[in-house]
Amino acid sequence: MNDRSTFLLRPCTWVYAVLLFLTFVTWFIGVNNLSGRFFAFMVFGFALLKGQLIGDYFMGLKQVAGPWRWAIFIWLVMVGTLITVAFWQTL
Amino acid sequence: MAPGKADDSSSALFIVEPNKLMQTMEKNRWPPGDLVIWIFILAELLVFGVFFAAYAFTRTNHVELFNTYQLTLDRNAALVNTVALITSSYFVVRAVAAIRADDSRGCYRWLLAALAMGLLFLLVKGAEYHHHFSLGINLNTNTFYMFYLSLTFFHFLHVILGMIILAAVALKARRGGYSAAEHTGVETGASYWHMVDLVWMILFPLVYVMR
Repeated sequence: MNDRSTFLLRPCTWVYAVLLFLTFVTWFIGVNNLSGRFFAFMVFGFALLKGQLIGDYFMGLKQVAGPWRWAIFIWLVMVGTLITVAFWQTL
Repeated sequence: MAPGKADDSSSALFIVEPNKLMQTMEKNRWPPGDLVIWIFILAELLVFGVFFAAYAFTRTNHVELFNTYQLTLDRNAALVNTVALITSSYFVVRAVAAIRADDSRGCYRWLLAALAMGLLFLLVKGAEYHHHFSLGINLNTNTFYMFYLSLTFFHFLHVILGMIILAAVALKARRGGYSAAEHTGVETGASYWHMVDLVWMILFPLVYVMR
């Protein structure tokens, strides 16, 4: 049946496309040896965003209420803060 | 069509559709899969988090060394590996969707595709290790390689464990061991595999790109 939903992509497929796009941008920055605070933190911001998308849409935490909803987010914030502090001193 | 039958279907629509809508909008209290795997996932994430922080803070005292030897890494191989893990995770999401629709064969096929992507990751990473080892590089070479080899190999072992779990789930799905009503095992294996993917999302830019 050709209803409207037939032509719509699943949310996980959109997320997959976004993850691939951000990965290619990260790779492009890497192979061109683009360095410095701007590029480093842009790439790292992409990584944190990708992590949150995987948690929400692939691991299914977007459909979870309560503390478990924020498990991956809290981990990303903790790791993100530590790595940002460390790299900030050297860039 | 008899008027009575039409009335039945329209009333069924009226009653069932809002319920289905509520089911899809309703949030769960617990994450998908067995709760024990989520405790395990959090423990694993904490270990990787400590590793990542150790890499970043050690780098502050060896910036030149880290920047120099980071250039020796193969970013193209890292791209292939990242795409392989993301694609594999996407296939696992589709496997879970298939079993929720009571499609055991579809679930099995998506899991096989995910395993193929996992195998690609292992082959590419294995080729990278072979290249480094053939140049005499090991954990003692310098601080950067100590972190690079230990971090990526620790993750490599998690990919192998994840593939063993996915293979066990796939075999059970092939035998019809899961259904729309009972598929906790599929969700449990999927959650672990996504964790392996999630960790690589941080590892890839941290070790291969950020400088």
